[in-house]
Amino acid sequence: MNARTVRWSRWTVEFGLKPLAISTFFVLVALLWTFPLQHAIAYPFVFLFFGAIMGSAWFGGFVAGLLAIGMSFVTIDFFFIPPLYSISVGKESRSFLTAFVVCAIAIALVSSARRRAETAILIARDELEQRVQERTAELKHSNAEITERERQLRLLTEAIPQQIWAADAGGRVEYCNRDLLEYLGVRTDPIQGETFFSIFHPEDASLFRESWDGARTSGGRFEIQVRVRGGSGLYRWFLVRGVPQRASNGEILRWYGVHIDLEDQHHSQQRILSAYENLSRFGRTMSLAEMAASIAHELNQPLTALVTHASACRRWLQNEPPNVIRATAAADRLVQETTRAADVVSRVRSLFSKADYVREPTDLNQLIHGLSGVIRDDAIRRGVSIRLRLANDLPVVDLDAVQMQQLLLNLAVNGMEAMEGASGLKVLEFSTEALAGGEIQVGVRDTGPGIPETIRARIFDPFFTTKPQGTGMGLAICRSILEAHDGRIWAEAADSGALVKFIVRAQA
Amino acid sequence: MTGDKNRSTEKVFIVEDDASICAGLSDLLESAGLATQSFASAEQFLGRWTPDMTGCIVLDVRLPGISGLELQSKLLESKIVLPVVIMTAHGDVPMVRKALKAGAVEFLSKPFQDSELLEAVEQAFALDRVRREKQDRAQTIELRAQSLTERERQVMGLVTTGLTNKEIAERLFLSVVTVKLHRGQMMRKMQAESLADLVKMSELLSHQENPRNPQS
Repeated sequence: MNARTVRWSRWTVEFGLKPLAISTFFVLVALLWTFPLQHAIAYPFVFLFFGAIMGSAWFGGFVAGLLAIGMSFVTIDFFFIPPLYSISVGKESRSFLTAFVVCAIAIALVSSARRRAETAILIARDELEQRVQERTAELKHSNAEITERERQLRLLTEAIPQQIWAADAGGRVEYCNRDLLEYLGVRTDPIQGETFFSIFHPEDASLFRESWDGARTSGGRFEIQVRVRGGSGLYRWFLVRGVPQRASNGEILRWYGVHIDLEDQHHSQQRILSAYENLSRFGRTMSLAEMAASIAHELNQPLTALVTHASACRRWLQNEPPNVIRATAAADRLVQETTRAADVVSRVRSLFSKADYVREPTDLNQLIHGLSGVIRDDAIRRGVSIRLRLANDLPVVDLDAVQMQQLLLNLAVNGMEAMEGASGLKVLEFSTEALAGGEIQVGVRDTGPGIPETIRARIFDPFFTTKPQGTGMGLAICRSILEAHDGRIWAEAADSGALVKFIVRAQA
Repeated sequence: MTGDKNRSTEKVFIVEDDASICAGLSDLLESAGLATQSFASAEQFLGRWTPDMTGCIVLDVRLPGISGLELQSKLLESKIVLPVVIMTAHGDVPMVRKALKAGAVEFLSKPFQDSELLEAVEQAFALDRVRREKQDRAQTIELRAQSLTERERQVMGLVTTGLTNKEIAERLFLSVVTVKLHRGQMMRKMQAESLADLVKMSELLSHQENPRNPQS
């Protein structure tokens, strides 16, 4: 009810009172001006009323225009059309008044229409203005947001305790974070293009280029361990990892990279490795000692029984009078016990029997390749270069790959240990050669002090060792492995260092 | 007391898990005229132990369950005072030291000669005999001491601390003559031949009252 009343009253004001007031105002103004002017002009003067109608229609709308037309008509008829001061219209003035009304309606229509159009344009312009302002504000806000995000991202890259860089597709460095710059001891940002490679250890630079080129052609990420020179001039081991950013068509736009410091990890790894080595060496001695103890125990038990039975037997016979029955029983047990002792001996033998060897067709070259991978870290740590001189046309041999690897590892470790403390280039060389009759000869050479000729023949004997901590079993095991493979092993005189060779036979 | 009576109850208790060695050992000991009893484990021995067991234990180190050395310390804990002969197939210095420290009579490395074992057992028997004689004597003296009157016991205590009759009389507010009477009575009851003899007896008695260190 209430809302309806409000709407009704607003409607009344909009289409009743306001047009009425506007038209009354304009018509009164026109009338007041027309009175003094009518004496100057002979013919009834109505043009000012057209102005009033136009103004009313302009400011008050079509309704006000109509009201102004009505009021003007009455006013003109009353004041200016004869008979004067009466509503009636003389016959001669009818056409004039009709023309006036038609013109007035046309003017009101045109004026109000113009006004509406004008207003619509104004409103549209205002709206446009407002929208533009809104957009501008939005843009400003998002700009600020982007800047803030960029700032945070940069803060993040600066705060990460890792070295981060970005480079263009060609590898030109565009950005280095503070950590990287600090490590490199460089102040200016960025370090450009070729100089970037100069931060790597000369030995690793080509490796880095290789793997980057590989990543560029394959379009994938790359990861590599290299030494990077710090500001102090010292090299540390880093894991360098690069990831490409691609456009939608797959083209690489940019590279992002991170350097992870591995030096401490390398150190601890080396510590673990050496600890592990000590442990395994200790373990090897331990297991030998334990095996010896358990064999001793196994043998001592029947031996003890044998001795006691024998002693008892003798005592029964020495007794006065001799107790032959007890002596015979003791002798019987004595015989039984010897079988038990024999069992122990054969059990021990079977522990080391050839039956445990599993033979499979094996490529010795491949085995040596695999082994050089295994000992690579150890060799780097000891400053030893590994060189492979492998024959191409090697026949496949039936081998126990695990045993053979153990053999090669023993020889390799011996060689590297021999070069410890040696001056000059340290090289461990593996070579293979196919001999006539399907035999393969493998050589392991080092550049250490070599094996004196006086002991060369004895180094493969069990318990023969020149090392203070050695068990003397390493080379003896090597020999027994080769004997199990119907091969043989020997040490040869060499110009420098030690040369150990062995031969295995390809099975017919 | 009489050696023959002891011989009849003395036994060698063999604790050894290897049945063949066990049989050999008991055969050997029996051939030397010794009685034996075998146990396959330390637990079995502890389960069958009785206070009247006399003789010695021949003990292997490597046993299933409780080891020989552990059994040795368990025997000490439960005051089983049978002498122990240890034998092992793989003895090392720390093991020998530990066994001897715990009171082992002998440490035999397998395999051993029969004479070694028999000597060790003989030694252990002798030790056990001494221990039992000491125990018997202590019991006799204890019985004698129990027959003393309160006053005689007092006098004995003061005499053994080295006081003269006069001093004792002063301490106990008695006349010297009365003290002499008590003293004579006490010496007769204790069957002590001299003052030195009495002092020895009182030492035994005090050990008996204080059994924490049975070995003197």
